[in-house]
Amino acid sequence: MENVLEVKELTTQFKGKVGYLTVVDKVDFTVRKGEVMGIVGESGCGKSVTSLSILQLLDKKGKVSGGEIRFKDIDLLKQGEKELRKIRGKEISMIFQDPMTSLNPVLTIGKQIGEIIVKHEKQKGSNVKSKVVELLQLVGIPRANELFHEYPHRLSGGMKQRVMIAMAIACNPSLLIADEPTTALDVTIQAQILDLLRSLKDDMDMSILLITHDLGVVAEICDRVVVMYAGQVVETTDSRTLLRNPRHPYTTGLIESTPQQSTIGKRLKSIPGQVPTPDEYGMGCRFADRCPKAMEICNHGVPPLLMIDENTSCRCWLYKEEEHGV
Amino acid sequence: MTKLSEAYKPIQARSIPKAPLNVKFDTLKKIMSYKRAKYCLAFLFLIVIIGVFAPILAPYNPNKLFYDALLQPPSKEHLLGTDAIGRDTLSRLIYGVRVTLSVSVFALGITFVAGTFIGLICAYIGGVVDNILMRIMDILLALPSIILALAIVAILGPSLTNAMLAVGIASIPGFARLIRGAALTIKSSGYVEASRSIGSSHSWILRRQFLPNVTGVLIVYTTLFIGVAILDTAALSFIGLGAQPPTSEWGTMLSEGKDYLYEAWWLATFPGLAITAVVFSVNFLGDALRDVFDPKSKG
Amino acid sequence: MTTSLLQVRDLEKRFRAQKSFFQAKQYVHAVNGVSLELNDKETIGIVGESGCGKSTTGRCLLRLIEPTKGEILFQGRDITKLSKVEMNKLRKEIQMVFQDPMESMNPKLTIREILSEPLIAHKIPKAQHVELIVKTLDLVGLSEKHLFRYPHEFSGGQRQRIGIARAIILRPKIVVLDEPVSALDVSVQSQILNLLQDLQEELGLSYIFISHDLGVVQHIVHRIGVMYLGEMVEIGEKEKIFDKPLHPYTQALISAIPKSDPDEVKERIILTGELPSPSNPPSGCKFHPRCMYATDTCRSAKPEMREVEGRKVACHLYN
Repeated sequence: MENVLEVKELTTQFKGKVGYLTVVDKVDFTVRKGEVMGIVGESGCGKSVTSLSILQLLDKKGKVSGGEIRFKDIDLLKQGEKELRKIRGKEISMIFQDPMTSLNPVLTIGKQIGEIIVKHEKQKGSNVKSKVVELLQLVGIPRANELFHEYPHRLSGGMKQRVMIAMAIACNPSLLIADEPTTALDVTIQAQILDLLRSLKDDMDMSILLITHDLGVVAEICDRVVVMYAGQVVETTDSRTLLRNPRHPYTTGLIESTPQQSTIGKRLKSIPGQVPTPDEYGMGCRFADRCPKAMEICNHGVPPLLMIDENTSCRCWLYKEEEHGV
Repeated sequence: MTKLSEAYKPIQARSIPKAPLNVKFDTLKKIMSYKRAKYCLAFLFLIVIIGVFAPILAPYNPNKLFYDALLQPPSKEHLLGTDAIGRDTLSRLIYGVRVTLSVSVFALGITFVAGTFIGLICAYIGGVVDNILMRIMDILLALPSIILALAIVAILGPSLTNAMLAVGIASIPGFARLIRGAALTIKSSGYVEASRSIGSSHSWILRRQFLPNVTGVLIVYTTLFIGVAILDTAALSFIGLGAQPPTSEWGTMLSEGKDYLYEAWWLATFPGLAITAVVFSVNFLGDALRDVFDPKSKG
Repeated sequence: MTTSLLQVRDLEKRFRAQKSFFQAKQYVHAVNGVSLELNDKETIGIVGESGCGKSTTGRCLLRLIEPTKGEILFQGRDITKLSKVEMNKLRKEIQMVFQDPMESMNPKLTIREILSEPLIAHKIPKAQHVELIVKTLDLVGLSEKHLFRYPHEFSGGQRQRIGIARAIILRPKIVVLDEPVSALDVSVQSQILNLLQDLQEELGLSYIFISHDLGVVQHIVHRIGVMYLGEMVEIGEKEKIFDKPLHPYTQALISAIPKSDPDEVKERIILTGELPSPSNPPSGCKFHPRCMYATDTCRSAKPEMREVEGRKVACHLYN
């Protein structure tokens, strides 16, 4: 299958008190055409920074210091600000966790969506309005004609997220980056939004890069997943394998610590300790001090990301050993 | 996790760490990292030293009249010249520091105590009390503070003490409003709600939850208000309602000097420069402090 | 039957929603006739979406918000009738843990000062303070070396441990937990849930666990109450409700939990529409505009709470 996005050895650093801290460390993944790729991890694992790095939307303190981000045939890291602006919103668009702060409170919804169409598609007048109304209907907003003239604060959280999605898909992007799109929403609304994303993917043949901390969301919608921990990819596989047969001890820990029907009455497993901050990264595996299977070697070197089978790779010394054993 | 039984074993066996000495040099260090603030602070410190050691530093008694040297331009004997009745300008300026500083500190004390109290009470109690007090403050705020001070002095009669009182009282509304604003955000914060859920008393909540969190704001505003207080006092003296001649006060000196602006430029220039320099440094310091204490600037 | 530890009857809270001085007075019923019971060493979960009044209910129980109507009987005593001074004394028995531990702690105080607050408020002799604080820190998995640190020096999970320590230091009977794990990461969330269960066992606490996350709730609670727009729609034992939810809203909520098992049948009930505004609630059964079984009766008449299949349900379907 065709790759829409290829991220190779992406490294992003942030200015800290002393020098630069590596927040995203040589992250590799690809997004294929028409699939939902998930990036899962806890806060501080670098998943949001990864997504911001793709469109180079990092604030002043951060910079992409290495790697390659290939979108179709262009390397995004080699593009100037002007070229990037053409890509952002048109080819790759993004939705954020908090729709309340991402919408401009003083513009009507119709204006905000219309602006994008005018800017990227060079259309005018009544064409724009009918396109906007069409988009609003597409994302499931009732009374689209009336809401065209409404201001964002009049909408509920779920509706705002729908408007954000409408803005994001206004120009038929080939890639949609969704950063925790349902975290701020209620469960019933979350189900609606996930449903919407799934149908958009199917109908428009869009690729989605979904960033989330919730394995439930992964199971619902993702085709393949990257698990990140402390700035590194620790496991990449398809979502079914990940949830059924997790390889990395961190992934196993994450799955076991999620309360589920099957865990009722039992004590939840949990991962002791906490995610290290970038200035605490040691020489060894970054998960070593929380890992139930830690060995001597784990403290001495960062394990490489190994291909275990054709669609699974994992960053753990456990698998290195097995390979040697065979 | 330890089991209950374990947790209840006598703790004498374990060492309970002593509270570390709670001296915070960080704040001072941070202020010092602002170049401008550092110079301003040094300058203000110098001014205070001059005020304290005025009798030693001043070349002459400020009220001594040099009959042979009326309206002398700056010279070796009189570095900043003399005035129409032969007083040494430099000596008067140096003694003037004392007046200016004590006036502003005193005025500020009034503002600080009353303003903080009113601001906190309004924010904490809210409702009718807040409404009434704040509407009164609004009415007072509608007048520029100098006009308000004028009115107060007009009622009390012109004197330095009354000028101090007037300047202090006139700044209360602005100060109270700022403190109230800061306290309102604290009131709606989770930790005040948590305190209430614990069952803490009102005075405890005010002392332990509000005060530590408004100190930053207090320090910043107080600094900025010093500038206002100095200016207002000088202004009152300038129009003859503050320090009465022959007191060496910068505003009074400025006022006396204005009559000789063409013949003796030094009379008005030096007090004017002194006022400007002090107010400037106080304001710069205030700005730097705001950067230090503003939580948003904390990286 | 022994009386339960806490009994809430027809709790009601109205907020005045007056937009301007000239408008007629309007009221928003944030909580409307909620009744529940809490037994010794039991955990009851209150779930619902944002704006359903679950947090308001929790705060009413501590009288952080004064309830408009209704009774709250703690060990048989109606606490809504207590004076402020008496209520403050009783706060020793009912404590609260808040959602955002960073928000609920004064950033300028050290952990020791934060944990002394309840001790000072309830006049525990000063000589015992350090001992009690250290013991409580032990219980929540922290140690005396943390005493003189400030809240911002801790991670989210540790901060929530401190929040819990503050709530249990006086050995209360009831702890109201308002979304205690929603702000935490999954792996830390499970640590805190386990801690809460351990503390319940060791200290004999009763919990009122307020959450929007049914996944978390099903793990920790014994009984569960589902709220919708200020009203309790279904309440009963967890097993019964999860096995066979009766109220259509409960059914939708349970089916909306994202399942982390990819093979589980995804027959989801996706609710249409959004939560109506509490200031202008629908007539009859408040859920009817989003309910797939809604009939004319639902539009006109408000359903009563009824005992059905071992739990209480407010729905016309089960008449």
